[in-house]
Amino acid sequence: MTTAGGTLTTLVGLMTMRLTIDDTFQRYVRLGMRPWLLLAAVCLLILGLVTIVIGLRHGTDRADRDHGVGVGWLLLAPVVALLLVAPPSLGSFGVARSTPILVTAGRSSLPPLDPSAGPVSMTLLEYTERSFDHDGRSLDGATVTLTGFVADVGDSGGFTLARYQIACCAADATAAVVTVVGAATSPPRDQWVTVTGTWAEASGDDPVVQAASLREIDEPEDPYE
Amino acid sequence: MSTDLAARTRTADVALVTVASVIVAAVVARPLIHDLVGRPAVANFATIFVAIVLQSVPFLALGVTVSAAIGTFVPPGLLPRLLPKRPAAAVPVGALAGVALPGCECGSVPIARRLVDRGAPAAAALAFLLSAPAINPVVLVATAVAFPGQPEMVLGRFLASLLAAATVGWVWVRMGRDDLLLARKDPHVHADSRALAFVQIAQHDFLNAGGFLIIGAAIAAAFQTVIPREVLTTVSGNGVLAVLALAVLAVLMAICSEADAFIAASLKQFSPTAQLAFMTVGPMVDVKLIALQVGTFGRGFAARFAPLTFVVATASAGLIGWLLL
Repeated sequence: MTTAGGTLTTLVGLMTMRLTIDDTFQRYVRLGMRPWLLLAAVCLLILGLVTIVIGLRHGTDRADRDHGVGVGWLLLAPVVALLLVAPPSLGSFGVARSTPILVTAGRSSLPPLDPSAGPVSMTLLEYTERSFDHDGRSLDGATVTLTGFVADVGDSGGFTLARYQIACCAADATAAVVTVVGAATSPPRDQWVTVTGTWAEASGDDPVVQAASLREIDEPEDPYE
Repeated sequence: MSTDLAARTRTADVALVTVASVIVAAVVARPLIHDLVGRPAVANFATIFVAIVLQSVPFLALGVTVSAAIGTFVPPGLLPRLLPKRPAAAVPVGALAGVALPGCECGSVPIARRLVDRGAPAAAALAFLLSAPAINPVVLVATAVAFPGQPEMVLGRFLASLLAAATVGWVWVRMGRDDLLLARKDPHVHADSRALAFVQIAQHDFLNAGGFLIIGAAIAAAFQTVIPREVLTTVSGNGVLAVLALAVLAVLMAICSEADAFIAASLKQFSPTAQLAFMTVGPMVDVKLIALQVGTFGRGFAARFAPLTFVVATASAGLIGWLLL
């Protein structure tokens, strides 16, 4: 039983615990993982600490030294990396590389929005679906509020807004992309913004929103939809 | 000082110095690392790498707990007595047993290893290893959510995965080389206490599987950062090529089996059979799993097992897709 192995396990447990408690984990995995991460962190902490205690008390006998920690040392890599800098949530770099979202048109009719009800906040994915559902009939006349980050800035002043959907973790992210036209300013890439506007006819692959107003915001707590 | 005490102190010293120097080196290099993560491509890689590792931690913890429980509480003679005598008959039992393990693929590798060590026929344990991440209830429900109104996709996934797992098991019975499996590298278990044995096995399995998981996660994150997925869409029209393309993509992306249905569903320009191939191959063979299998069963084993599994899983998905979808 090696004390080094126990130390490594404890460190991985601590790392998991820290990321979960300070909410950084939301950049990497779904919110719903929180209890499982906490449970795993506690298990690893106990396992690691017990191993250290046993190792100190019983000592390291010959058979254990032959096995050693081996490839387990690699677990130090994420621990040390996260100690120094927590990587950001996925940004504009991956948008063009992720799977394009294709919504089949005319499959179903979404219930129309009430134009008099004021701005409706919705996900980029829902906006995409509504846009391609019978040419945006359900969006007609309604004002919507969309939140995402700037994925690409066009030459003619418009830009694209994107937000990732993740099912489990950032490795399975897909991006919904909406083109914003008519905004007074063009924020820099990766800036988070909230756009209020109305539906406009799409000219390319992405749905279009005609912006009435634009507000730069901080990254939301949960950067994914 | 006795030799035993001297050796004990030396091991502890080496470990302490290693950990300390890695941490000091990292702190010194901190500005450099900050600068690196400032680059979009590196940040993308780092985020996906951390995401895969973090996502796997709970499943790995579950896997090593079950593995340690098997190693501690299942008497050596029990599994051979419970399973059918003939390996060929034990294979489907192993494959079906996969239904009972919720979670994704990282957890099932140490469990399968422990089953072999406890006397289960290797082919049956391998069938379990392949089927568990694909046909458990959690994954099937996720598939149903990802493909609303297409229950045939859930059924197809279940059948194709079961067929592939059993077929690989049967092929292994006939032509497999159990001698390629790494000799058991159990920690030296102090037989006097079950609790002690449990801790030792869990500790050993966690470090081993965790280390190889890091390698696999790094490779998968690199592929995801470097390869633009649109290169694949160029082949989406061609029936057979599309199935192969998504099978290869599943190997390179190494997505957790609980999430792969959502990716498959978003690849709408591909045929349902190609989507099924993505979901059948992914939980059975991907870069992360290959790394785990190399570490747990040995290089010679993985060099035969991974290609065999890839071919059988792709063919099973093709067959079931052709019959059902």
